[in-house]
Amino acid sequence: MDVLLNLTINGIATGSLIFLLAAGLSLIFGLMHVLNFAHGALFAWGAYFGVWIYTQTGSFIVGILGAIVIGAVLGWLLERWIIQPVYTNTMSQIQVTMGLLLVMNECIKVFFGPNQVSVQLPSYLNESWLLGGVILIKYRLFVIGVGILVFLGLQYMLKRTRLGLIVRAGVMNKEMVQALGINIKKVFLYVFILGSGMAALGGMLFAPYSGVIHAEIGMDYGILAFIVVVIGGMGSMVGSALAALLVGVLGAFATFYVPSVALAVNMLLMFGVLMFRPAGLLGRG
Amino acid sequence: MLTKRLAFSRWWMGLIVLLLIGFPFVSDSRGALILLTQIFIYAVFAMSYDILLGYTGIISFGHAMFFGIGAYTTAIFLHRWDHSMLSFLISLVAVLVLTGIVSYLIGVMTLRLKSHFYAMLTLAIAGLFLVLAEKWRDLTKGSDGFTFYIPDLLKDRTALYFFALAFMVIMFVLLKRFTDSPTGRVLQAIRENEQRTESLGYKILHYKIIASMVAGLAAGLSGSMYAITLRFVNTAVFGTNVTLDALLMTIIGGVGTLFGSILGSALILLVHAGLTDLAKIHWIFERWMIFFGALYILAVMFFPQGIVGMFRQWRAKWNRG
Repeated sequence: MDVLLNLTINGIATGSLIFLLAAGLSLIFGLMHVLNFAHGALFAWGAYFGVWIYTQTGSFIVGILGAIVIGAVLGWLLERWIIQPVYTNTMSQIQVTMGLLLVMNECIKVFFGPNQVSVQLPSYLNESWLLGGVILIKYRLFVIGVGILVFLGLQYMLKRTRLGLIVRAGVMNKEMVQALGINIKKVFLYVFILGSGMAALGGMLFAPYSGVIHAEIGMDYGILAFIVVVIGGMGSMVGSALAALLVGVLGAFATFYVPSVALAVNMLLMFGVLMFRPAGLLGRG
Repeated sequence: MLTKRLAFSRWWMGLIVLLLIGFPFVSDSRGALILLTQIFIYAVFAMSYDILLGYTGIISFGHAMFFGIGAYTTAIFLHRWDHSMLSFLISLVAVLVLTGIVSYLIGVMTLRLKSHFYAMLTLAIAGLFLVLAEKWRDLTKGSDGFTFYIPDLLKDRTALYFFALAFMVIMFVLLKRFTDSPTGRVLQAIRENEQRTESLGYKILHYKIIASMVAGLAAGLSGSMYAITLRFVNTAVFGTNVTLDALLMTIIGGVGTLFGSILGSALILLVHAGLTDLAKIHWIFERWMIFFGALYILAVMFFPQGIVGMFRQWRAKWNRG
């Protein structure tokens, strides 16, 4: 029983991290119909840059802020200069964003060195409580808390603000929004920056969670985020959150009980969903 | 006019092949010989990718899996059984059977999906193959890989050179015939307009599966040839970089032109060799993927028709006067 509870908490924490990555991917795809293969690279950049700031300043919070800033800046650069010119061409889009993933991963190796970097938690987060037989690790609860906050913030943004209204309308019908005199390109840019910032935040939180980071985490977690988005339904925030939890928890159990097929479990889940509900669990159409 | 142009390009191809046949007799540079052998083999891999990207208009990020299956199948046959020519030929048959089955199954499962999903799924499936190869250490020896002996006939670098050249020429002719066949024409119609082709009564999925199988078979064969030239195999053959190499070669050379893939393969491998030499001067050249990645992004954005496409455009302009 204790093992089950521990695994579930681990899974939820991992799920929160994946959610940070998947939410942006899903939002960007839902609104712009761009599947950003470079999204995982933003995760890796957030991790590396954030950790660099963290080791320079010694403050974890500043590291997190640094990660969000670098994510947003990179997001702005990518959207403005590289993705905008290929909006209308799906084939070029897939290829360009894939190329970006490659270049950004290599840039990490150039700037931060090709070896993996180990990360220590700050002491105030590096505690755990023993409750009955269940070990509650403070950092995991912290990650879950951030995940919940971001989810609530996104929900608020989407449901209660004008920008959210435009985004939701844009997901339904882009042309109509444009016809009403709203500059949808600008909204695209905001959403892209938001998604990139969240991805970088996820990367930074991931770094001390796993203890080591390497340049390939971008590719690995990018694929996981994609699986989540497919299962949850492109463009659906609640779907992404549920699917992220599902994938996180399932992954935690699979790595514990059948470690060799852990990745395959999520892949099979995605196949199943794609076969029977191609639009995802909560997706429309 | 068309036949004249065909005859013209055939004349050029013949000349190039003759030059390549003559090459080992005039040059005794072992490095150049090995580089050219690799170019021939990668050219076949790039051509197989072009069947998907250039002729059918689908992007796969998992093409390395067929390359890897080919490389491992041949390597395991030669390592476990014996290193005779017979065993090599049987391994080629096994490669065709295996890649045929795998590409069929994956095609049936994934080719219904929209291009984004297909690209991501193939990336994920290739990732699974990589994990499988790393975990199944009894068979593959994981990322350490293993060396093996190759048939005596192919041990001589010059013999292998001619063998690879013949391989490329044969595959070029076969794939050219495939793309010019009625099936190939339907594939190009799908690339141009999927809905219209479907409304003309063609089963899109059926044709896409054919394309992916042909591409998979050719990629598998190029993988076995690759293993033969290295006499070594490890899990790197399943890496995403392998797929991206093919993508880059196809794009640079010119999509939808088999000859472009050959040109692209030559160019990329030559540049790669040059950059590896430069790495001794400055460490930044060790990260040559940055250069290729940037080149690739720029090519997709500003230069989507590739070298052969550019050349054709010039010629068309010139002919019009």
